[in-house]
Amino acid sequence: MRLLDYDEPIDPEIAAVLDAIDATLSGEPVDAQYADTAEIALLLSAERPAVGPEFAQSIDERVARRFAPAPASVPVGPRRRWWSSQFWEATGALAAAIGLIVAIVVIAGGGQGSPSMSSASSAAGSGAGSSGAPSGPPTRSSSKAQPALVPPNGSSATPTLQPPTTGRKVVQSAQLDLAAAPSRMDDVAQQVYNVIGALGGIVENSTVTQTGGPAGYADFQLSVPSASLGQAMSRLSSLNYAQVVSRTDSSQDITDQYGAAQRSLADARALRTSLLKQLASAITTEQVASLQAQIHDAEASISSDQATLNRLNHQVGFSQLSVEINARSAPAPAVHGSGGFGIGQAAHDAGRVLTVAAGVVLIALAVLSPLALLAALAWWVGSTVRRRRREQALDAA
Amino acid sequence: MDHALVRSEGVSETLTASPSASGTTSWARFEALYRSSRDDVYAYAFTLLRDAAAAEDVTALAFERAYRRRRTFDSRRGEERGWLFGIARNAALDELRRRRRVAALAGEPSRAADASEAVSEDDEGEVALRRTAVQTALAMLPAREREIVALKFHAGLSNAELARVLGVSESNAGTLLYRTMEKLRKACNATA
Repeated sequence: MRLLDYDEPIDPEIAAVLDAIDATLSGEPVDAQYADTAEIALLLSAERPAVGPEFAQSIDERVARRFAPAPASVPVGPRRRWWSSQFWEATGALAAAIGLIVAIVVIAGGGQGSPSMSSASSAAGSGAGSSGAPSGPPTRSSSKAQPALVPPNGSSATPTLQPPTTGRKVVQSAQLDLAAAPSRMDDVAQQVYNVIGALGGIVENSTVTQTGGPAGYADFQLSVPSASLGQAMSRLSSLNYAQVVSRTDSSQDITDQYGAAQRSLADARALRTSLLKQLASAITTEQVASLQAQIHDAEASISSDQATLNRLNHQVGFSQLSVEINARSAPAPAVHGSGGFGIGQAAHDAGRVLTVAAGVVLIALAVLSPLALLAALAWWVGSTVRRRRREQALDAA
Repeated sequence: MDHALVRSEGVSETLTASPSASGTTSWARFEALYRSSRDDVYAYAFTLLRDAAAAEDVTALAFERAYRRRRTFDSRRGEERGWLFGIARNAALDELRRRRRVAALAGEPSRAADASEAVSEDDEGEVALRRTAVQTALAMLPAREREIVALKFHAGLSNAELARVLGVSESNAGTLLYRTMEKLRKACNATA
């Protein structure tokens, strides 16, 4: 039975009786009208049970030992306590550490990969005349995530995609986007020239723009021997003071187109040979004139087919490589081999670590808050039920 | 009323053995609390449970729990004695619950019967009759009211401490005590 919890003014008569009780217990005299109450109070106090000497000694000893187990039971106590406390503490710490690692991996892994490296290849169908934009045949492209700014050393490890070329005529091309500090634009451009020259390539077109400010731009249209394309991409991806933003490798199978051009050339040559024989046996002026006109057309066709074949051979033998360099405000890493680590990189890494740590804390809070709320609710319900059962036990006694 | 001086004076002096360096303050406070309250806690438990063995168990359990939780005591919420008797009360009520689960105790020791033997030897006349009447009336009280008597007259709690242990306001505790005393007074007068 739980009575009123709020404090209310007590009845004066009750207060007087309570004062009389307290006065009696303190040994002070009370008014005669409270004599009965005082007598009962004294008699009740006299009924106070006394502690037995054996129990007094026993509990004194327990308290003196600070409730430690008796010496005879010492070997059992600590072991059970270890299992019940340290074991669960260690298990909890291990689970927390695993959760932390998983959270870090999830956060660190999820925050990368804005720019991409992509590769695309297309095969021209038979008879496709144009060597420019691929048409008709199936085209596939794929992309995979790559870090936002790939350090030069790291990027050079990425192999250049090489389509199978066994007996096939394949035209390859590639595009590389780099980022460099504005002040290093010249250095990077010169390195591009050096790489292409060393590999026997050709700089077909180049533009290097420097403003003296934070802006800057360079563009190169290059042609390199196809056999050296992989090496060229590898070296260009590893230029000092430059970082790879994205790279694209493309390939186009022109075997059918090449074969058609070869057949057309052979047909034209055979036609010219036949016409030349007919010309040798021609009698009339009209016949000679007609044959000479046909021979002229056949030779024009031969020249055209030969040019087509030459162009296709050049496309197969030399790959087109487009390099674009854009200035970026953040300084690029230092020269290769120096470790690439400076104050700026350290600050960047520190910021990243702090971001990840904040993310982990946020996720932990998101997970733990509902659990803590449930635990608090369970604790409150449990304590309320326990208190109510205790009161019921008192009423039922 | 200074309970520390009036009550529980027979606690063994072996407790003055020096505690370890760590937790000296909390241990000293607990030791002082134990010294001042051991007999009071026992008296309360015995009056409520009417069983010496159970009262001893509850007393020991209450002090062990208080020792384990001594760092959780918050002086802003009341005196240490009130906190200790709250623990003792929970232990005693748990004991009552355990009794309910097991079985109703048969042949509980009757304080009135025990006392009557002593009265016959030590006291005489009117006083002995009045004492017997009070014992009988106390034995007839329900557990809840017997608990109030135990806390007030056997454990020596003030009305404020009584209120904190029972979880009611001080005026409510005073009213409960008044009603219990009135019931005892009427029972004693009826017996006389």
